Amino acid sequence: MATHEASARLEGLSYPVPAISRRSKIKWGSVLRHVILAIFALIIIMPLVWVLLLSVKSLPDAYQNEIWPKTFDWSHYSYSLQKIPTLPQNYMNSIIVTLGTVVITTVCAVLAGYVMVFLQVPGVPIVFGLLVASMFFPTRVTAVIAIFETQKDLGLLNIPAGLIFPYVSLSLAISVFVMRGMFQTVPHEIYDAARIDGAGPVRMLVGILLPMVKNGLVVVIIINFVAAWGEYLLAKTLNTNQSAQTLPVVLSTATGGMGAWVWPRLAAVYIMAIAPGLIVFGFAQRWYIKGLQEGALKG
Amino acid sequence: MAQLSVARSEERHSVSERSTIHRVGDWLARYGVAWLFLFPTLVFFIGWAVYPIFRVAWFSLLDYRPIQASRPVTFIGLQNYVEAFADPLLLQGIIRAATFTALFLPGMIFMPMLLAVLIDRITNARVATFYRLVLLIPAMIPGPLIFLLWKWMYDGYIGPINYVLVDVLGFFTIQNQPQWLSNQLVIPGLAIMEWWWGLGYHTMFFLAGLATIPRDLFDAARVDGANEWKLFWTVTFWRLLPVTLVLVVLRFGTAMAVIDEYLIMGGFMRDRPTYTWTVYMWDTAFQGVQDRGYAAAIGWVGTIVMLLVVGLLFWLFRSRD
Repeated sequence: MATHEASARLEGLSYPVPAISRRSKIKWGSVLRHVILAIFALIIIMPLVWVLLLSVKSLPDAYQNEIWPKTFDWSHYSYSLQKIPTLPQNYMNSIIVTLGTVVITTVCAVLAGYVMVFLQVPGVPIVFGLLVASMFFPTRVTAVIAIFETQKDLGLLNIPAGLIFPYVSLSLAISVFVMRGMFQTVPHEIYDAARIDGAGPVRMLVGILLPMVKNGLVVVIIINFVAAWGEYLLAKTLNTNQSAQTLPVVLSTATGGMGAWVWPRLAAVYIMAIAPGLIVFGFAQRWYIKGLQEGALKG
Repeated sequence: MAQLSVARSEERHSVSERSTIHRVGDWLARYGVAWLFLFPTLVFFIGWAVYPIFRVAWFSLLDYRPIQASRPVTFIGLQNYVEAFADPLLLQGIIRAATFTALFLPGMIFMPMLLAVLIDRITNARVATFYRLVLLIPAMIPGPLIFLLWKWMYDGYIGPINYVLVDVLGFFTIQNQPQWLSNQLVIPGLAIMEWWWGLGYHTMFFLAGLATIPRDLFDAARVDGANEWKLFWTVTFWRLLPVTLVLVVLRFGTAMAVIDEYLIMGGFMRDRPTYTWTVYMWDTAFQGVQDRGYAAAIGWVGTIVMLLVVGLLFWLFRSRD
């Protein structure tokens, strides 16, 4: 309230602010605001609570449809890992592909972002322009046929780690964009000072600059994790053997909830598929949100 | 820090006085290092993005069906495109993609905008962070896994949506319950799913936009007697316009070229509203006779239509400034 009156005075307005009526109005508005936000939060949470509960329902309960199970059955997790033959392999494939993609893309993006901000070399702006332009081009969809042929030529079809090559290019442009934005927030004096102290590019990058852009690194890692962990089209197209497939593809072919894939087991595998992302997010959210605010959303 | 930088800038003078040889070495080191550091990015960008784009353009000029070994690969010029332009299924596929986009886009812009305005007003930092975190949870789940979850949610037997509508609320019976994945409802169903998925992520964009609006602007308007509704349309909306336009262009592009959703929820029935140009392209390239030349042409026609509209949007939005 005080700020309103103060600003009213600053604006040179002569009439007083009706403090009492305003206060009661704001209170109702704030109640309504929280009700709306709580409803949205519930809508976001409910589907995930449902699938979590489904994964611990006993089989008869699962077909009763009631949200809260009468009897809990925790065996679906171990059952699906033991009895669905390729599942551990599929899980491993997803981990290998995702780790490879995240590490390679992050290294590429850090190096490229560094060059774009601190080493003004002719030609580099063109590379940056092309990368930005590619963000508006549906490369993954339009070029899927040629990516398939390229992977075939290289003998990478049905090899899980082969997916890393196209996956790196998926989020490469946005990753470079984010890292460039983050490096731009580093004061140039620090770069100059370190350079004059004789820091080479490697020590400059690893020792001095990286700690200053760690929020951006978290953003890049999360973007690439989500993109690689769940990618579907390329995984489905390039790896057709079930043992070479990643989790999302296997899960998507298992719909129908029959046999080994009865609904609670499907749900258990689903929870195992989304858990790594949510756990990583739980640990990294502080830096992630800061990183988004600092540089990633600018532009 | 300030003292340090003063000291360094004094030293910088001595750097410019170093010998020519040193400077040439510096120059080389700089160029060498720059391109060495760019090399990995260029390898992946050229190898798995630029080259495939051009290669697929080349395919579109060929009669290319690799599974028919007896059929030679021949250059047929624009023949595939002539066929594509006369193909009613391609036209329909583009119209279907546009229908989905038209339904999806307004909700994907205005709901996050509303939420961002609501969250921005919360004065308690902890509560505001809590809402941000909850809303961001779906953004941590990869798209295809979201689509699977919603496919199950929409299921007529196991799905909780119809359980609530039929058994809890009694709005429908088992006979007339909504068939969410039927041809009539699948597109709205997909749009609802996409809104759920993108809500938090897009809210973050608008929150970043709101953070740039000076607070006194609101206070001044409030003092002038503007209510919250009027305030939104006179101040907030216009200040958020740049963010909004960026999101419209970005989401238009992604929505027109959606494919995973359709593959997971739609299948390959040609009369499905989910059989868009992207699914048509994939179906033609990897199933049946695997006519990759024609599929490449389908892909390029769809892509060019999409890019033309994106270009048009850019032009429209730029002329406003």
